[in-house]
Amino acid sequence: MLEHIRQWFERRRGGGSLHCDPEQLPHPKAAGDQALAKTRLIVLDLETTGLNPSRDQVIAIGAVAISASVIHLADQFDLILRRPELDISETVLIHGIGPEALTRGHETEEALLHLLEWMNGDPVLAYHSAFDQKFLEKTLKQTLGYTRSHTWIDVADILPAFFPDAKTGGAGLDHWADYFGLEVSERHHAAADAMVTAELTLAALNKAGKHGVITLADLTDKLRYYRRLKSMHRV
Amino acid sequence: MAAATQDTQRPQNTRAIMTFLREHAPFSNMDDAHLAHFAEHASLRFFADEDVVLSPEDGPVRRFYVVKQGRIRGERHNDKDGKTETTFEISQGECFPLAALIGERPTRTLHRASGDTFCLSIEHDAFVTLFSDSDPFRDFCLRGVSSLLDQVNQRIQSGAMASMGSSNSLDTPLERYALRNPIVCSPDLPVRKAVARMHENNVGSIIITDDERHPTGIFTLRDLRTMVAEEKGPLDTPVSQVMTRDPICLTAHADAFEAALLMAEHHFAHLCVIDEERRLIGVVSERDLFALQRVDLVNLARTIGTASHLRTLVSLRSDVSRLVDAMLAHGADSGQVVKIITTLNDVTVRRVLELNIKKNDPGIPFTWLTFGSEGRQEQTLLTDQDNGILFDTPQGMTEDQVREKLLPFAQTVNQELAECGFTLCKGNIMASNPKLCLSGKEWDDWFIRFIDASTPQNLVYSSIFLDMRAVFGPTKPLEDLFDKVLTRIRKNALFQKMLAGNAITRRPPLTMFRSFRYASDGRKHTLDLKRQGLAPFVEAVRVFALANGVEEANTLERMDRLVAREVFDPKDANAWKEAYSLIQAIRMRAHQEMLDRGEPLSNYINPDDLNPLDRRILRESFRQAQRLQQKLEVTYQL
Repeated sequence: MLEHIRQWFERRRGGGSLHCDPEQLPHPKAAGDQALAKTRLIVLDLETTGLNPSRDQVIAIGAVAISASVIHLADQFDLILRRPELDISETVLIHGIGPEALTRGHETEEALLHLLEWMNGDPVLAYHSAFDQKFLEKTLKQTLGYTRSHTWIDVADILPAFFPDAKTGGAGLDHWADYFGLEVSERHHAAADAMVTAELTLAALNKAGKHGVITLADLTDKLRYYRRLKSMHRV
Repeated sequence: MAAATQDTQRPQNTRAIMTFLREHAPFSNMDDAHLAHFAEHASLRFFADEDVVLSPEDGPVRRFYVVKQGRIRGERHNDKDGKTETTFEISQGECFPLAALIGERPTRTLHRASGDTFCLSIEHDAFVTLFSDSDPFRDFCLRGVSSLLDQVNQRIQSGAMASMGSSNSLDTPLERYALRNPIVCSPDLPVRKAVARMHENNVGSIIITDDERHPTGIFTLRDLRTMVAEEKGPLDTPVSQVMTRDPICLTAHADAFEAALLMAEHHFAHLCVIDEERRLIGVVSERDLFALQRVDLVNLARTIGTASHLRTLVSLRSDVSRLVDAMLAHGADSGQVVKIITTLNDVTVRRVLELNIKKNDPGIPFTWLTFGSEGRQEQTLLTDQDNGILFDTPQGMTEDQVREKLLPFAQTVNQELAECGFTLCKGNIMASNPKLCLSGKEWDDWFIRFIDASTPQNLVYSSIFLDMRAVFGPTKPLEDLFDKVLTRIRKNALFQKMLAGNAITRRPPLTMFRSFRYASDGRKHTLDLKRQGLAPFVEAVRVFALANGVEEANTLERMDRLVAREVFDPKDANAWKEAYSLIQAIRMRAHQEMLDRGEPLSNYINPDDLNPLDRRILRESFRQAQRLQQKLEVTYQL
């Protein structure tokens, strides 16, 4: 990964300025009539110093891409950010990233530029995506002044929407992973969590194709309907 | 260290895939660099239950798959009955499709997900790179499933090697060898008498000792040969004049290696083992030292067949067990080994009968019958007695009078066989049972009742009485009897159908879905390899054999005969024979391990104790049993 990013920067330097013009970065794509079975989706997970987006910071980014309903291991993102100034004592027990590992990380700016380039504006999926969205958008804004919004889709909605009868015993990522017999190689490692989220997404996409949910817009419609139904039940 | 650093630089998900792969063949034998190549080029796909993964219509296969989670089954369409049958199952850690990928052709079998399934795969170019760079990977792909079978056999062999090594290493002190009680004589004994004593005890040497039991000389069969050939004197010559003086002696603390060196140096086959006071305590022969390396079936059989005492027979049983170990170590397959065990058991049974006839001849000509697994020549070390007597009623005697003479005799034989390690039959299926000591006419009546008036109760006996063989005495009476039995069964479609129905009551321990089904009567989480694994084959094959007039009792031979009679497809029969033999091999290895641990032998194993490879092979073998039972169901419309 490190070598990969270094090469990418070499290429960009060759092309001109190091500081990127947001206009040159890929534009986020809206959820339209792209066929789910053909499109590329980003599945992402962040590790942060805490749960409060206004105070806490992103320390690790893990992501995999689903292209045409296949996860290609060659197309992934796994990076710890360089943030020696952060106090991570509170959460180090959860994600296992200690101060040493952080200093080995990357210049945040370089890493985020690379992330945006790699994401290529494709829709982003995450488990409880609101959390990741807030943190990532805040970080992008603070570090790069980048303010465009990607299309975010919550896998925590997708799964119960397509598997309404699944007896998972809970709504957490672990519950769903257990339900499908999946093992998380290292829980609370951003990349490993992203991987298992992506694996669950594959199962949901398979089901979607069989239930006439063909395009990305179909999917977001279905989720909107699902959320409305859920809130009605709550009332 | 360098490798560790490199490993931490790999992305977490790449490392996780490498960790997963390392737990399965052939990846467990591959270098990290090659595993990394696999992981970095891998993609992950999901298939829902019943989704098609690969189909013959897809064209040449371009992708190599490993099941990460879930299960894939192979489906083939049977043109004869229009049904689809499952031909194999692939589960976690297993690879597919090998033959089609190597042959660059479409798959011949439809691969379908059985339950929600995730597969890792690499594309053709990454496959080619691994294939050319990694020897273990290439070997695995080229040999496909047969390489799996090799691995099982290798493991069985190395296990047996290890047990040989532990009991036979050359640094074992001589005192730990089972020293035979030495055969001794005084110096003045005539050669003729000394040789008679050697003959009686079935040994090749005699030690000449003085009054304080100090060895003064040794006389061996080789010395006798020299003496006769060179006309050194008459056989009345005192042995002291022809013996080899001052035989080589070692104390009991010396090790086997020293003994072997001395023997090699002096070209002696025997040496004396003495205590601190130079008193003789035993004799070690070259044969003892190398007994395990050269366990010799012929020799063992001859020793058993000429043993003059029951206790010799009893002591020789441990040699049979060691022979089994050695045979497995030398790569004999389970079919050969069970036949050899049966051969040795037959020799033992015959010798017990001969010794008893010598002591107390009942005076009635009879044939000693053996039933069940011994009848099929499929005995392992764990064996019950299932036997009976078929006699010819002499003129002027009634059958009951004959029984009066034969039953006490049979009683003694059954007891003595028990001492030799053949457990008494709990169901009293033994020759000493008056119901199983019958004349030819009585046996024939017995079978008429058995076949024509079959009830679920007596069908239970079919696995015993329809697999029979003569071990001792004239074989003609049994052939005549069995001829009639076969004819009767062939004519009786109802009996065949009942037999078939009985044969499928014991299902192989596989549920339709994934895991093993455990034995219901046994300990928790155990499989009964005999009843749940082997019996489905034995029983189904028996029905086909009897219905088609096959006289053999051995399951593998029955299958060969059924192929010859075009009842079985040769390919099916091969798969069934292989599956049956593999279950038998796993069972025999388990027995050897129990012996090593000093546990009583049992047919129960815990599949969780098996390695993934053996588990996979067991499951595949059980699935073959299922197919065989399906054939029975189709044939008899059950």
